[in-house]
Amino acid sequence: MLSVIRLAWRNVGRNPRRTGIVVTAVAVGLSGTLLSMSILSGMMFQIVDNAIKTDLGHLQIHAQGFNKDPEIGLLLENNGAPEIQAIQAEAGIQNWAPRIRGEGLVTSPSASVGVRVIGVDPEAEAQVSMVADSIVEGGYFDQKKRVVLGEGLARRLGAELGDKIVLSAQDLSGDMTGTALRVGGIFRTPSAELDRSTVFLELASAANLFAMGDGISEIVIVGRSRDAILGTQERLSAALPSREIQRWDELQPLLASILSVMDQMAAGLYLIIFVAMSFGIANVLLMAIYERIREIGILLAVGLSRTRLVAMVICESLFVTLLGLVAGFLLALLILYTLSGGIDMSLWAESLASFGMGTRIFPVLTLEDFTIPTTVALLTALLASAWPALRAVRLRPAEAVRHD
Amino acid sequence: MNLEWRLAWRNVWRNPRRTGLTVSATVFAVGLLVLMSALSTGMWEKIIDDSVSMGSGHVTLTGPNYLEERTLEEFTYLDAPLAARLEENPAVAGFAPRVNAFGLLSEADVTRGVMVIGVDPAAERTVSSLPDRIESGRFLEKGKTREIVLGGRLAEILGVKIGDQVLLYSVAYSLESAYDLFSVAGIMRLPNPSLDRGLALVSLADAQAFFVYGDRISEVAIRASEASASTALAEQLGSSLDPEKIEAHAWPEVMPDLAQTVVIDKLGMYMMLAILVIVVAFGIFNTILMAVLERKREFGVVLALGLRPRAIFRIVYFESILLAGVGLMLGLLVAIPGVLYLQANPIPLTNSEEMAAAFAMVGSDPVIYAKLIPENPIFSGLTILLVALLAAFYPAVRASRGKPVDVLRSL
Repeated sequence: MLSVIRLAWRNVGRNPRRTGIVVTAVAVGLSGTLLSMSILSGMMFQIVDNAIKTDLGHLQIHAQGFNKDPEIGLLLENNGAPEIQAIQAEAGIQNWAPRIRGEGLVTSPSASVGVRVIGVDPEAEAQVSMVADSIVEGGYFDQKKRVVLGEGLARRLGAELGDKIVLSAQDLSGDMTGTALRVGGIFRTPSAELDRSTVFLELASAANLFAMGDGISEIVIVGRSRDAILGTQERLSAALPSREIQRWDELQPLLASILSVMDQMAAGLYLIIFVAMSFGIANVLLMAIYERIREIGILLAVGLSRTRLVAMVICESLFVTLLGLVAGFLLALLILYTLSGGIDMSLWAESLASFGMGTRIFPVLTLEDFTIPTTVALLTALLASAWPALRAVRLRPAEAVRHD
Repeated sequence: MNLEWRLAWRNVWRNPRRTGLTVSATVFAVGLLVLMSALSTGMWEKIIDDSVSMGSGHVTLTGPNYLEERTLEEFTYLDAPLAARLEENPAVAGFAPRVNAFGLLSEADVTRGVMVIGVDPAAERTVSSLPDRIESGRFLEKGKTREIVLGGRLAEILGVKIGDQVLLYSVAYSLESAYDLFSVAGIMRLPNPSLDRGLALVSLADAQAFFVYGDRISEVAIRASEASASTALAEQLGSSLDPEKIEAHAWPEVMPDLAQTVVIDKLGMYMMLAILVIVVAFGIFNTILMAVLERKREFGVVLALGLRPRAIFRIVYFESILLAGVGLMLGLLVAIPGVLYLQANPIPLTNSEEMAAAFAMVGSDPVIYAKLIPENPIFSGLTILLVALLAAFYPAVRASRGKPVDVLRSL
């Protein structure tokens, strides 16, 4: 068997142009596949990342039932002291921030709009969300008694920096209350929805408005990474059995759904690209082996056993394919490296600036993205060489030698 | 010239196996390109259709500035001449006037902010899918007053059933407080959670009375006969309207988020297509190159016999063109009926309930649609033709090069 492998390896070097063609076929196929997978993964990754950075965080702690029906009465008492204690015991948590979350009506002299009212601790909030860094006018709670609202909402209200708006809502005891505040800052994030329908105010003002006392609605948590947060969620859930500890995808099932729908579509695309890659590989391998039927006939005639011959041809194909895979992987890495600044999409669509994904796509390549196409390529090589080889060795040597 | 084409044509048939492999590379390339672009077109048509049928139609007529402000201040009218014009327009499949506003809905001590839409029950059916989303009770009916239809989650949160009364509170157009009791006529199940939790429908007449709105409306939602003609229809309508009073917007202006998602996805798709083209181009190139290099001896012989390198180049190039042409035709012959079949028989993704739920969430059915538009096979065909013309160049150069003696000895 060892001699067969040695023979196969020599054959690889014996015909550099044939080897070259198969290697390019495999390399271009693999790098194309890897590239498209990484662009798609990058798009999906970015959608999630933006959602996490604008509002969701990795985890949120609420009173039981809050996610099903975000009612202002479902609160964490005592400013969330026991929850904070549990958070501080967790090494994997990087940042966290308390919030009050309710609904209300904002009225300006020219319009009234239903909004989400979010009370935040400005310093802590700046660590968990990008809103503080997305201010386009004014500041982020640099003055007292101010609200920060989205550009879209400001436009709907016809409100400018310094204008007075009235915020009315139903408080904890069910009474309608209201407060007048000035617009202190206007933000623009990639999420048009957030910009259109959210008012941020200071935690204390929100507590006042909703008559929350020392209650807060949620604690939002940002961990090291999306995967690392799974363990944190489990441990927090165990430590705080009476609270809901939910991940971003549980909090935003719509987002999770969009991702799984995109995943499904991506699977279809991968299938098409795999087929294209396999076909390119199979085609050149088939041709490379058919071209050698004469040679195979001679080897048969001098007495090489059929099994060994087939094994040799298959080994050869696998060697060449492996070379191609290595080349393809390097090529893909090289292209990805040159794209590491992101693919600028703004060239094609100016309007993308306001979109939830930003104007740059950063390709992401995971290990899984690599193993599947590699396996597909090797299997293709195996089939595309075994089939013609088996057919060739079934010919009588005399026929094979005369084969054109 | 003629002789060269004839030689090329004969060469094509001289080795059926080689021809088969080369042709199949082209067939495959064309087929995959057509399939991929049809799937992408189909997916987006479906998503857009689902969104416009739950939103403001393919084309929306609004008062000036309504899209930016979306308050009661920006209104328009649907007068009889306009209605008659829309009725007559063959590009309009249906239209419905609406009043859009915000209100607080209370039952007992639960209050929720909701989007209140006043709709004309009969007209609404020609435009939107909302009437088909009723889960219990019934949709609004002409002649019945103070009735309300709620999203399913909203009804659960308020704890109301069919026949219960809810209190609607809001600020009217006159800037006075407005409140009134409505009885729940129907409950809808809406795939989009934020609508399911925050949408309430009342009749147009009730909304106009409640908001002290006279015969003003917020928008006219129009369903186009042909979705792809939305922008053209908006322009056509817009040019015949008084821009001071009423504007026509196609859905991309009304739903910029969706339009941008489509743009992003299309860009993504073009990138994928570009990569696919490169992969299949190399497939074709490699196949042709290998087929030509395999025949080195043959070219050596004809060179030795005195055929000029130029002639060999032309014969080989013509051969490749013939092969690509045959492959292209076959590819389109296979791909077009295949895609048309997919278009008529969408593939249901019945493999998982989770997936069905995920699709329902984004307001779509778990089905893969394909849609063939003429641009797509034409574009795919031309691309592959161009690819083949380029790919055949180098192998033909290789075939014509070399000294006969070396070539003959080299095997």
